[in-house]
Amino acid sequence: MASHDHTEPPSDIALRVKALESLLLDKGLVEAETLDAIVDLYEHNIGPQNGARVVARAWTDPEYKARLLSDATPAIAELGYRGAQGEDMVVVENTPEVHNLLVCTLCSCYPWPVLGLPPVWYKAAPYRARAVSEPRAVLAEFGVDIGDDVEVRVWDSTAELRYMVLPERPAGTEGLDVEELEALVTRDSMIGTALLEAR
Amino acid sequence: MNGIHDLGGMHGMGPIDAETDEPIFHAEWERRMFALMLATFANGSFKGDEFRHAIERMEPAEYLNTSYYEHWLHSLERLLVEKGQVAPGELEAAWKNAANAADAEGAA
Amino acid sequence: MPALTAETAVATLMAGASARIDVEVAAKFKAGDAVVARNINPAGHTRLPRYVRGKRGTIDKDHGVFGLPDSMAHGGGDAPQHVYSVRFSAREVWGAEAPPRDCFYVDMWDDYLDPA
Repeated sequence: MASHDHTEPPSDIALRVKALESLLLDKGLVEAETLDAIVDLYEHNIGPQNGARVVARAWTDPEYKARLLSDATPAIAELGYRGAQGEDMVVVENTPEVHNLLVCTLCSCYPWPVLGLPPVWYKAAPYRARAVSEPRAVLAEFGVDIGDDVEVRVWDSTAELRYMVLPERPAGTEGLDVEELEALVTRDSMIGTALLEAR
Repeated sequence: MNGIHDLGGMHGMGPIDAETDEPIFHAEWERRMFALMLATFANGSFKGDEFRHAIERMEPAEYLNTSYYEHWLHSLERLLVEKGQVAPGELEAAWKNAANAADAEGAA
Repeated sequence: MPALTAETAVATLMAGASARIDVEVAAKFKAGDAVVARNINPAGHTRLPRYVRGKRGTIDKDHGVFGLPDSMAHGGGDAPQHVYSVRFSAREVWGAEAPPRDCFYVDMWDDYLDPA
């Protein structure tokens, strides 16, 4: 059996989290059922499928798209998506002339109600360091080549506004219905690190 | 503060390491950590800006060497102690209990 | 603080809580104004990134009134003020080798800005 210096935190991260959870349960600061419900909400009910619905609706309904681009929060709420980390939304549109890319250089701000929880790379140092200073190199690592005639706009989420990219509707999708269009929309296309293609 | 968290424009951080078919959580402790933070935030134990600042105050080398939810763990432990919701001795006792329970499990 | 029930916690997260503050505060700037990010170096919390300090940009949009993190992170008041989306050219911040068309937008509080 290893001897522990028990005034230091356990080096095993899982043990240290378990210790904190036990303490907060014992003190009545949290309830076990509440913790389970929170995990379930973000693991099963909220994710990029929500944002994909918003995008497909905007592609097929010009009036909705206009509302979405002028005042995103109520337009997104029309489809039932609202909540923590999406209280004040801004949607930016990709066009043949403009490509948008989202980042949070200071922490990891991300629009949870429409995209779910962020992937590890979005929260990690390389992306946060480089997205503002060399976005085209970052995009190239994602396999996205943006022409010199296109303006790259990077949005650094430094305040409480949360951003989502409205990607361009791919060519060749004229015959698809809304559900088929939704299925084309990827998480990364709504961050700005992917372009979409018809399948 | 001019801290390590303020990463915009820094060099030397390496390539983007994007994972294919990434799960929402990578381990059970990440699920628990996520929920502990949100449950204590939602009950008003601290403000969002206080939570961010507690992450920013991590030792810089440790900040870079630890994952996102480890940042959350450091921040939450520190904030709950600073706000008097948890006494430092209570946290140490909880670590000791958890370590002893793990030792007992290992010895069994 | 007492524990929330599962139902209350989920309802709270699903509803969200906007950080907007419903108070009349005069805006120091309007869309199109030329601004310069202040060169401040507080030891405490701030949401003004280093890379943009001292750089010149343009107000793109006024997002309304929010509390100031520099105050709220330290037990201070809300210090309500306008937050703007400010556009900076990549060349202004990263130099002549940056692509000429590229730009970025940073959300900034009145306290982070001076007229240019």
